[in-house]
Amino acid sequence: MATLLLLLTPPVLSAALAAVVRPYRRAVGWANALLSLVSIGGALTLWAHVLAGHVVTSGPGEFLRVDALSALLGFGVSVVGALAAWLGPGLSRGEDYDAIQTRRFRIFANLFTFTMLFAVSASSVGFMWIAIEATTITSAVLIPLHLSKASVEASWKYILLSSVGIALAFAGTVLAYVDFVAIVGRQDAALNWPVLVAAAPSLHPEVMRLAFVFVLVGYGTKAGLAPMHTWLPDAHAEAPAALSAMMSGVLLAVALYAVIRWAAVANATLGAAFTDQFFLGLGLLSLGMAAFSLVRQHNYKRLLAYSSIEHTGLVCVGLGLGPLGTFAAMLHLLNHTLAKSMLFFLSARVQQRYQTTRIGEVTGLLQTMPATGGLFAAGLLALAGLPPFGIFVSEFALLRAGFAAGRFWAMGLVLLLLTVAFVGVIAHLNRMLYGAPSPRVPRGEPSRWPLIPLALCLAALVVLGLTIPSPLERLIAGIAGTFVP
Amino acid sequence: MDATFSQLAMLGSSLMLIFGLILLWRRRVPAYINAFTGQSVALAGVAGATGYFGTESELYWVAAFVLLLKGLVIPSLLRRMGRRFGSERELDPYVNTATSLLLAGLLVLFGYAVMRPLVVTSRLPTRASMALAMGLILVSLFVIVTRKKALTQVVGFLMLENGIALLAILGTYGIPLIVELGVFLDALLGFLVMQIFVYRIHETFETIDVEQLSRLRH
Repeated sequence: MATLLLLLTPPVLSAALAAVVRPYRRAVGWANALLSLVSIGGALTLWAHVLAGHVVTSGPGEFLRVDALSALLGFGVSVVGALAAWLGPGLSRGEDYDAIQTRRFRIFANLFTFTMLFAVSASSVGFMWIAIEATTITSAVLIPLHLSKASVEASWKYILLSSVGIALAFAGTVLAYVDFVAIVGRQDAALNWPVLVAAAPSLHPEVMRLAFVFVLVGYGTKAGLAPMHTWLPDAHAEAPAALSAMMSGVLLAVALYAVIRWAAVANATLGAAFTDQFFLGLGLLSLGMAAFSLVRQHNYKRLLAYSSIEHTGLVCVGLGLGPLGTFAAMLHLLNHTLAKSMLFFLSARVQQRYQTTRIGEVTGLLQTMPATGGLFAAGLLALAGLPPFGIFVSEFALLRAGFAAGRFWAMGLVLLLLTVAFVGVIAHLNRMLYGAPSPRVPRGEPSRWPLIPLALCLAALVVLGLTIPSPLERLIAGIAGTFVP
Repeated sequence: MDATFSQLAMLGSSLMLIFGLILLWRRRVPAYINAFTGQSVALAGVAGATGYFGTESELYWVAAFVLLLKGLVIPSLLRRMGRRFGSERELDPYVNTATSLLLAGLLVLFGYAVMRPLVVTSRLPTRASMALAMGLILVSLFVIVTRKKALTQVVGFLMLENGIALLAILGTYGIPLIVELGVFLDALLGFLVMQIFVYRIHETFETIDVEQLSRLRH
């Protein structure tokens, strides 16, 4: 109970503090930054509990429930939440945001973190849905922090498409619940995930198929899976960098989390073959769409956004490849969270210095900002799947799982598309790193300490590229064991 | 008893679907708002009837909430927006009225096809109406996709939510009340945020025609 509060209350406290103190004061930002570390502590404690073999539950009717999957996602969300608290608007000087905008960011970013943490720790799929719907509301408010035509347009697309998608996911939830009530009868805990899974073998397969398709399309919209991804590049490119990092780094993962929960229910009713074909199909489609969009990008924030679709697609493919594939997918999820949030924060530094998001107008990055440029290059190389970074290991594990499962054609296609994406990313990176810097762009780093947490992300990626630490391996093995029959 | 209930559920669901179809052939914002209000009242009626015949007292609360929130609060907020943007009519949707109505008819049929497994396995007196709820969900989606004014899209989204609520009431006699309350809260907050954005779109683009929102095509 106490550890769950440790995880969930810090963002609420930070949001309340930012709401009460007006105008914004820097002390609020520092309190927020320190509280975000408490949240990480809570996540790590939960992780330890789960590894000790417990499923942590609390509240009336097991309202909150943390198993291996929740622990992994909870950790990811709290880490990116902390990065946003430390590097978001409101701590260092000389930023583009005024006090009103900073206060709004601190309120809603913390609420956003809270809704994501709540989504992964709620036991009931009903509350999970409510929390994920709330993530749309809390994040959409922040996209037009700088009011412009483009940001208003991006946030309208985001809120409309995500709300509609989420509504469809609710329709899927209701359809499954209709069948549950028809067979098991009404009971208060019926929407609790363990109860659903236990009852799943007796549910009607035809109804479950229908329900899962609704859930997959619904949460898949939020996860940025093609062809429901159209909101994603706009929203990620127009949002403030800290919000893009949170959306790309963990919001997509939280939406996939909801799909995985439902896939476990559907698998118990239908066997894994049904969900596998959807995961493989949507995953490959997203991967393909993103790989070719990466090649013809002119805007580096959109480049990062399309890369998120690519990696979400990869995770999705992994989920369709049995226990080994699920293991690789979860590892990939964590790697992508680290790499992508780091890159979005770096992109903010580049944008602040060059005052543009066009790739063609950013030249000589390594000369202008050596440290930022170096980290940016390392991050993009990691995303492109080069060793010694973690993404190489998880992509390799994914391909191996696919070949072991006999999916030769699909894996061949994945390899081909990964190559396309690789070429796209590297070509754009080269254009930004080298060349003569424009004379109107001042040289040097604007501030140094924000580079420390970002370098830590990169260090973690390198560690994950060399070895998978035993606690992580056991946690992910626990997920693969629970969710794949 | 069951026969009466079945017919009442069918009547309520049909009314809701017809109110949904109004979005396809009327062009003025006040007509949309009235249609949504009528639909919400019908939803409250179905909830109340299901509560009475299914002896689920929780559904009376749901009916009261629907009436208060979707029958009163949201329509009055919509009317305020309507007074501001009401002059912007839905003159030139992506799909014209005649084709829209035809496609909506096909969507309702498709709803019947989609819901067949559920209708066949269910023993509830309300089972026949569930297909209409699915029809309403699909028609609302169609409205959101094919209409150009932000305000029309918002009303379409609200009707989509009504369709899902109808499905939940007919199929399960109500999801657990605590979850239902959370859903209502989300619906209200979501609507309020959408409202803010409609005003923002109007401020920055001087129209609520989302066809003008095309800067971000790459």
